[in-house]
Amino acid sequence: MTRVKVTAPRSAAKPVMDSRVAAEESDVGQVFVRSLIRSQLRLALVVAAGFLLILLAFPLMLGLVPGLAEAKIAGIPFGWLLLGAGIYPVIGLSAWLYIRTAARNEARYRDLAEDK
Amino acid sequence: MNPVVGIVALVAVSVATAVIGFYGLRISRTTGDFYVASRTVRPWWNASAIGGEYLSAASFLGVAGLVLLSGTDALWFPIGYTAGYLMLLLFVAAPLRRSGAYTIPDFTEVRLDSRAVRRVTSLVVVVVGWLYIVPQLHGAALTIRITTGLPSWVGSVAVVIVVCLTVVAGGMRSITFVQAFQYWLKLTALAVPIVFIALVLAGNGTPSVAEANANPTGLAPTGPYQNISLLVALLFGTLGLPHVLVRFYTNPDGHSARRTTLIVLGLLSVFYLFPTAYGLVGRMFAPGLAQGGRSDALVLLLPGRLIGGPAGDMLSALVVAGAFAAFLSTTSGLVVSLAGVISQDVLGGSVRGFRLAALVSATVPLGFSFMTDSLALAGSVGLVFAFTASTICPALLLGIWWRGLTDAGAIAGMVTGGVLCGGALVAGALSGPALSGAAMPQWLAQPAAWTVPSAFAVMVLVSRATKARVPRNLTKVMTRLHTPERPLATERQGTVER
Repeated sequence: MTRVKVTAPRSAAKPVMDSRVAAEESDVGQVFVRSLIRSQLRLALVVAAGFLLILLAFPLMLGLVPGLAEAKIAGIPFGWLLLGAGIYPVIGLSAWLYIRTAARNEARYRDLAEDK
Repeated sequence: MNPVVGIVALVAVSVATAVIGFYGLRISRTTGDFYVASRTVRPWWNASAIGGEYLSAASFLGVAGLVLLSGTDALWFPIGYTAGYLMLLLFVAAPLRRSGAYTIPDFTEVRLDSRAVRRVTSLVVVVVGWLYIVPQLHGAALTIRITTGLPSWVGSVAVVIVVCLTVVAGGMRSITFVQAFQYWLKLTALAVPIVFIALVLAGNGTPSVAEANANPTGLAPTGPYQNISLLVALLFGTLGLPHVLVRFYTNPDGHSARRTTLIVLGLLSVFYLFPTAYGLVGRMFAPGLAQGGRSDALVLLLPGRLIGGPAGDMLSALVVAGAFAAFLSTTSGLVVSLAGVISQDVLGGSVRGFRLAALVSATVPLGFSFMTDSLALAGSVGLVFAFTASTICPALLLGIWWRGLTDAGAIAGMVTGGVLCGGALVAGALSGPALSGAAMPQWLAQPAAWTVPSAFAVMVLVSRATKARVPRNLTKVMTRLHTPERPLATERQGTVER
């Protein structure tokens, strides 16, 4: 078995030049880039806020509706079902929506950046 | 419990880990392989590996133990551990992958163009990693003591030895396979016994499930402040965990980093149903385990307690094996990422330096674990999340999304967060016996709700005051972080995945 001596990967941490250089260098390119960053940030904030609101609504609902937490579904108290299992589909759905829209934002950016 | 069961399970998991590790060695040849598996790991493998690495002693043992102790309040732990990944997906996953950096210190250096930031970040990463390894070793010590009757230190030492062997031999590539295997082992180890337990209980004619809300310990329920502060820590802490972040560099591009995170969310959601079920069953049928500080061993003891006989022994062996998989995978993931940071910053980044750094990263927390007592596992890991959320998380979030961040601001913010949160943790540890969350003021027991905003505020204010230090290559770096990779590469990857 021969082993090859390898060197430090520090240089890999530096950005590698690729097609994105074009977008970096022109003023028009930067307008597109900034608008992409804004729309991605807005999307992330909206999804996060929506998810947190639902997360907050769950315990509030259990606390405010009397008897709801103790109501049984298949022998398990509703409060346990809601917090122990019900939140996970909400997380998955938020993630899926985000990924779809984020990819769409990027596709729109790519169209703009390549058209110019 | 039959002591042979525990020993057999421990040996079996260690051997399986070592075999998969050595198999990985054959295809691991370059420094890239060692650090980040050359970025050629498929999303499913990678997601399983992330799940395997993330589900630590806290998730495997601690969550069920806390549910046993404090009922539905404890369910915020698995919710936070999972939702933290959602935040990671929303704010960090793709830009971090596109930054092209190997480690968190690499990222801050590239983004802020400053060696000083790199050194501070490295220091924080090493502290976080060590703090996080200690509860894993405590978990191993507890498992060995409860299941075999051997002295506690045997468990921690065994974990450190196996981790050092696999990491030193194979690096990240073999670790990826090991971690992916360990996710599925952990899931099986929890799922199979609880299904049998449910069948047995159903056959016995279940007693009333009404006792689910009965409280076996008389612990006061946690208030809204504690739950919110805990959620802040878990949601934002996941963003900065070094062993989680290093996994994102193994994706081929930003889009697949997002897809991987989506799969991880699914894997975590499925996994956390089971510790919750153990806690619920434990509350109803074995509330006695809540007494005497054995609550963290609930998952280990429940199969033997409710089924018994040889069948109970076999199920117990499975659970013990799963528990060791949890300690091994989280510890090795942390050791790999710490070794990456230490070897690049101190030892020049060679493979030999990486191996040496791996030994150091594993043995130092072993010393800590001998000197400290085991807290409730889920709680002590929760505090590490608070520390990450107050240090690395603001630097990452502001670095990715805010053009105004400067190196001075990042350093000031990380130091503030680290000092405030670290101070609260130390004060909390000194001021009272381990578990007495009730005796401790709430703001000290769960500091994240005020330390995280403070770190953000200091980072923003100092950056504002040092505007002149905004790096000159900012435009280039921000473009790189946020624009999609060359379309060709994305499409090719897309067809490979399908």
